[in-house]
Amino acid sequence: MSETANFVLDTRGESRDLDAFVVAAAWVGDKPAFALGDGRLVMADWREVAAHDGAILSLAAAADGFITGGDDGAFRRTPLEGDSETIAEFGLKWVEQVAAHGKLIACAVGKTAHVYEAGVKLKQLDHPSSVTGLVFDTKGKRIAASHYNGATLWFVGAKVDSPRKLEWKGSHTGVAIHPASEAVVTSMQENSLHGWRLADGQHMRMSGYPSKTESMGFTRNGKWLVTAGADTIVMWPFFGGGPMGKAPSEMAGGDNVICTRVAAHPQHEVVAAGFADGLVVLADIASERILPVAAPGHGSVSALAWSADGSRLALGTESGFAALVDLSKR
Amino acid sequence: MSDPADLIPVTVLTGYLGAGKTTLLNRILTENHGKKYAVIINEFGELGVDNDLVVDTDEEVFEMNNGCICCTVRGDLIRIVGGLVKRRGKFDGIIVETTGLANPAPVAQTFFVDEGVRSRTRLDAIVTVVDAKNLPARLADSTEAAAQLAFADVILLNKTDLVTPAELESVEAEIRKINRFAKIHRTEKSAVDVTAVLNQGAFDLQRILSDVQPDFLTDSEHEHNDDINSMSFELTKPIDPEKFNAWIGQLLAEKGQDLLRTKGILHYTGEDRRFAFQAVHMIADGDFIGPWPAGEAPKSRLVFIGRNLNRPQLRRGFESCQAG
Repeated sequence: MSETANFVLDTRGESRDLDAFVVAAAWVGDKPAFALGDGRLVMADWREVAAHDGAILSLAAAADGFITGGDDGAFRRTPLEGDSETIAEFGLKWVEQVAAHGKLIACAVGKTAHVYEAGVKLKQLDHPSSVTGLVFDTKGKRIAASHYNGATLWFVGAKVDSPRKLEWKGSHTGVAIHPASEAVVTSMQENSLHGWRLADGQHMRMSGYPSKTESMGFTRNGKWLVTAGADTIVMWPFFGGGPMGKAPSEMAGGDNVICTRVAAHPQHEVVAAGFADGLVVLADIASERILPVAAPGHGSVSALAWSADGSRLALGTESGFAALVDLSKR
Repeated sequence: MSDPADLIPVTVLTGYLGAGKTTLLNRILTENHGKKYAVIINEFGELGVDNDLVVDTDEEVFEMNNGCICCTVRGDLIRIVGGLVKRRGKFDGIIVETTGLANPAPVAQTFFVDEGVRSRTRLDAIVTVVDAKNLPARLADSTEAAAQLAFADVILLNKTDLVTPAELESVEAEIRKINRFAKIHRTEKSAVDVTAVLNQGAFDLQRILSDVQPDFLTDSEHEHNDDINSMSFELTKPIDPEKFNAWIGQLLAEKGQDLLRTKGILHYTGEDRRFAFQAVHMIADGDFIGPWPAGEAPKSRLVFIGRNLNRPQLRRGFESCQAG
């Protein structure tokens, strides 16, 4: 099994043992980066930059480089060439979340999200409790933050802030915005997801997971919400009246191994998924065909990201394995 | 199931402001024991020593939507533990300092309820620091002081230099009324060997239960119902696991709010390993631990710390779990 399962990795990939927890992966165009638990940011050609004095907790791709938050209380920027620089320092507080949309960047520290544009602080957004997830919408007009008892949706350019409060009792641990801004979805402490249809505030409850969903995202056209947290890739239909009253589709897995990371392809209805045993697969939604990319054995998958054009995939694991796979036509 | 040896031990420090918690913390961090601890604090500014792994957090307690009314957990701890494990291998343990008025239940329950936290850490011990001089007043004017003692595995009876020997005896007797099972260390300026506080393995129950003498009090003994009290029961006949689960499940569901801590080592029928059971309020957990020590006759012991404990009822209930 493992020889064939590694075929794509062996023939089209390059890999390294980075010797630290791979916290996240991201791409600026076709330039990858892996954020590590020992503070290093490993970029294209495996160039290493000391980005934080401690663990990197969060990573996002901005217009001209990567932004990171660390347990050293720093919010930093690392350009594609050159060293990291500090955007802001927050002392003993952790910078647990970062988000970017082109020149707009943001970080969350405790209950507050800080938004910057082209390096200048734009605004500070306060929430009732700690921010657990932070994301811009596809146009960069709005930013959503998850926290206890719901999520808050802000207009980035508003002169006077009047955020939309999306309420649902409980602890919300992550957030995603539908690509056409039709809905906001959060992951929850109780192994379930919650959503709000933005047109009318209709609640969406998506449950049945055996563990917490730590990774989710919409397919490019917004048809499917792809999620981790079960022993298959669980996909909720956001069409034909769904997800309310609809069962999710499931792909791959079935081996009682939890899917830990998902990444929807930026162009096609294809999903990359990583599992707790190290298995990484590609799944084609229409045909339900599965292509193994990396065999089990390298540690629980903790990072998975597509390059901007979707031709390359970055994957990383808790035990420090990192790989770049080229899936372009040859 | 994770190997317990791979789990990061967590020590929870509770106690009222001014009892000597921060002094103890500074002592732990400065003493030359060759270990490195990540410290999670809420009242920074008091910590007078350098430690490169200090996390300043707001205690964020929330209710779980799991149908259990008293199940509250610390959301900030779940996130911080998730962040700390990314550093893997860089520290030997985690110390959580709670605010003075904190009820220890949400902290303890976090280690039972959250799968991510459970799979990576083990609650080593709850250490409560109390001020010998002011404890009687705190017990009179608050409920948290008694709860902090009830949850404790280790109690530092501090500032003993500020009271007379008679006062010290009386305050220790008050502590014993609430929690007969914790280890008490009398200290001045929180001066205690750190080995008496860290790596206690208290939550593996083995030591703490074997140290304790069973209850010889009679059923008719008068008890104030609102006060926190502790009781232990012992059975030599093996326990039927199904009967025990049914009984304890119903007991915790009905009286869980009053039962602060329940712990036990059980001798299941036909089983040569010990079963360790523990609960915080309604949240229970159990697992087989090693075999009975050589030369020791298997027996079951169960202890309760809580309010409104009905000794005859608990004893009859436990006895009804005997096999055969």
